[in-house]
Amino acid sequence: MLVFIAKRFLWMIPSLFAVSFLAFVLIQLPPGDYVTTYIATLAASNEIVDQNTAAQLRERFGLGDPMLVQYFKWIWGILSRGDFGISFEWQQPVSDLIWERMALTLVLALSTLIATWAIALPIGVYSAVRKYSIGDYFFTAFTFFGLAVPSFLLALVLMYVAAVEFGQDVGGLFSPEYENASWSFAKMIDLFSHLWLPVIILAVSSTASLIRVMRANMLDELPKPYVTTARAKGLSEFRLLMKYPMMIALNPFISTIAWLLPNLISGSVVVAIVLNLPTAAPLLLQALMAQDMYLAGAFVLLICALTLIGSLISDILLALVDPRIRLE
Amino acid sequence: MPNEILSRGVTRRAVLGGMAGVAALSVAGRVSAAAGGEAPALAQLVKDGKLPPLAERLPKKPMVVKPFEKIGTYGGSLRRGLRGSSDHNGILRMVGNQSLVRWNLEFTAVEPNLAERWEVSDDATQFTFHLIEGVRWSDGHPFTADDVVFAIEDCVKNTELYSSTPAQLAVAGKPVTVEKIDDYTVKFTFAAANALYLENLATPLGQHPTLFPKHYCSQFLPKYNPNIEADAKKAGVTSWTELFRSRCGDIEIPSRWGNVDKPTLDPWVVKEPYAGGATRVVMTRNPYFWQVDTEGNQLPYIDEINFGISQDVESLMLNVISGKIDIQERHISVLANKPTLSKNMEKGDYRLLTLVPSASQQCQIYFNITHKDPAMRKMFADKSFRQALSIGINRPELIDIVYFGQSEPYQAGPRPTHPWYNEKYARQFTEFDADKAGAMLDQAGYKKGGDGFRLRPDGQKVFFSIDVIPTLYPDLVDALELVKTHWAQIGIDMKVNTIERALYYTRGDDNAHDAQVWPGPGGLDPMLDPRDFFAFHPQGSRYAIPWTLWYTSNGARGEEPPESQKKRMKLFDEARSTADLDKRGAVMKQIFDIAAEEFETVGLCLAVGGFGIIRNNLRNVPEKQPDSWSWPNPGPALPQQFTFTS
Repeated sequence: MLVFIAKRFLWMIPSLFAVSFLAFVLIQLPPGDYVTTYIATLAASNEIVDQNTAAQLRERFGLGDPMLVQYFKWIWGILSRGDFGISFEWQQPVSDLIWERMALTLVLALSTLIATWAIALPIGVYSAVRKYSIGDYFFTAFTFFGLAVPSFLLALVLMYVAAVEFGQDVGGLFSPEYENASWSFAKMIDLFSHLWLPVIILAVSSTASLIRVMRANMLDELPKPYVTTARAKGLSEFRLLMKYPMMIALNPFISTIAWLLPNLISGSVVVAIVLNLPTAAPLLLQALMAQDMYLAGAFVLLICALTLIGSLISDILLALVDPRIRLE
Repeated sequence: MPNEILSRGVTRRAVLGGMAGVAALSVAGRVSAAAGGEAPALAQLVKDGKLPPLAERLPKKPMVVKPFEKIGTYGGSLRRGLRGSSDHNGILRMVGNQSLVRWNLEFTAVEPNLAERWEVSDDATQFTFHLIEGVRWSDGHPFTADDVVFAIEDCVKNTELYSSTPAQLAVAGKPVTVEKIDDYTVKFTFAAANALYLENLATPLGQHPTLFPKHYCSQFLPKYNPNIEADAKKAGVTSWTELFRSRCGDIEIPSRWGNVDKPTLDPWVVKEPYAGGATRVVMTRNPYFWQVDTEGNQLPYIDEINFGISQDVESLMLNVISGKIDIQERHISVLANKPTLSKNMEKGDYRLLTLVPSASQQCQIYFNITHKDPAMRKMFADKSFRQALSIGINRPELIDIVYFGQSEPYQAGPRPTHPWYNEKYARQFTEFDADKAGAMLDQAGYKKGGDGFRLRPDGQKVFFSIDVIPTLYPDLVDALELVKTHWAQIGIDMKVNTIERALYYTRGDDNAHDAQVWPGPGGLDPMLDPRDFFAFHPQGSRYAIPWTLWYTSNGARGEEPPESQKKRMKLFDEARSTADLDKRGAVMKQIFDIAAEEFETVGLCLAVGGFGIIRNNLRNVPEKQPDSWSWPNPGPALPQQFTFTS
């Protein structure tokens, strides 16, 4: 097992390089550069950038360098001194900008994961065991509804109701007084009191598909001989379900842990923007649109790193949970 | 057309006349500072000995601002919305407009601001400004001539910081020279006449002289701090210029609002900065602000400004209609939002704010007369081709459908209320006549082919695309789609090319476009942005980018333009150095006559006004304001005298 983990770690290094290079190239592919976008953004509100200023911005950011040179300068900064570069737009070191956002993204991702599983697992098992019962039909209908409604629409509707009917504060993850406060216990409480809305919105669609997966898997396992054997040996129905079919049915859940984070960042962009969440997604989108390449590059790199770590975790968990899986 | 100028008893002509005048009046109605009041929170600080008394914080003769409606009361937090990216100018427009001079409310004359009066030499090369004595930066340090000299001579003219001097501060290729006469007098000397300097100084790009406090920013310059490179490294940036920019900012970069330590002359100072990933920006009152109301009360009235940062305009709209925003026009000011905002006026407890566009044209079509393909170039350069296309557009239908009837057919030039309005330039070829258009095209050699579409003399089908940015101007896409159907009737095939905005700019810069559209400026400020009148703006005069390069590089780059362009360039240079407004107007009118004759751009309709909202308990806000970057609304309406009633 340890050898396996070590090997996987070593493989992660070239993967990260490849991915970071690809990301860098992709970010640079659209026409124009940060300065073009900057001028275009200001022109959008009929604001004018001094022509001389534009020329000197390009010079200052080294946008004239060939792409390879820019890439190596960037990656060398990260490797040698953990310096992710300066965000063009904010004139701030990238590392100042990303960590808190990434932390909040992780909190949101984990909460959504827990909520999704907490809803999907019991319902999935129930639907499988009581196949074609009224409850099963009810949850099935609910599932399709959840899959069909786009989450940003759900977000807008909930926000509208909260703002217009109840006069609630909408958007964000904190009350105004905690927004820029340093971390404290009270701020944590405040965070969790705001977290439920985005968590529900994000959980609805993924819950729906997970319920279907769980139900199908359980239905596969339930008629198998080992279940009948266990039942014949007098194991209580609950223990029986939990101990064997459930463990095996969990397999797809565990193997998708790795995708969860990238999914949450890319899949929740619209929701995060609509709800004004201070997570990584909106900042990443902005950075991409502004061609603020060091900021965008750092996010992409981190998300990739987390994906790789996530897939390592799912492999380890699978090995632990599913007796059929061998490392050799 | 109703009179759209916000004049209060003064004719535009008279005010414009005063604009170029030699000296402005000194500030009228001065009162003793000791008589007035201050915000309760500041009074408490004074009592606790944490702040000097009001009389020591204000200039001896502070600038008196006449409140728009009534004397205000202290207190309150004003809520406004920003967007997460590149929206720093949203802050600038509200608080950061404290230049040496400022625009009046009508956008017709330059008024004293930090300079209480000035003299201009007869040849418009020398400007002597007399600063208000005793103004202090927000940290209590005096603001003097040294700061102005430092800002221009040490900062803006530092070639490592500004590889070339900002356009406003350079004439005839040479940067301005600023000297200190005494503590409160500075003299600006230009290499050649710069008659427009005062007007330029009142725009946001004219803020450099008052942007950099010497006592603070000098620590980031090698001249004053030999250890600057080490300091930069310690701060985690690669060079001292980056450190300077991140600490002292510049006129329009986000880091201007990212440093809570930088002293300013603004009514409010940064408390929670505009930084990457911020979810709001909070600004709090400047205890040393140097303006008072007519009863001597120190401004601003409002304690705090709270800019919430929304990523999404829809959530900003939600906040507006649920009454969580006090004044807003930025981002929500598109016609499509107007019904929603009008309907919810009662619920959100707000009234509407009318914006008078300073632009001239809602949608200007720029055919690329300098197209790289010779056949296309020949076609677009053919004046009768452009004229035929112009009368082939059914403007009344377009205005009804796209602009809810709120406009009128228009080509280009100053708006109808402007004294320089040119009837021919504005209205020619706006009458819809498909038959005549067809006949003109026939005569110009563009005969109809078998499929009903016309062919060029070289046998190719007449086909071109017009670039438009859908995310930026959705209305222009709708307008062009209608124009496409109109042109199809006269046998012209056009493609509405919706593209991303960086691509739009790159295509323009490379002269790779057939045609592009953009709102045409110069309606109320024809001197500040004449890009439609001749090839003036290297990115904006999209009908002939190579000619503008020739003009801006003094013939070194680009392509030599035809005589009529060169004549206009010369005339504009003459107008720019003419201090006398009547003479300047005469010169500009010649430009409009030539431009009307040449008919280079095709306009659709007069620019449509925007709007915004003001909460009903927010007073002293003019409900009609010009809408312009040069008059950066709502800043010149002086938000420091806005006040809450309850």
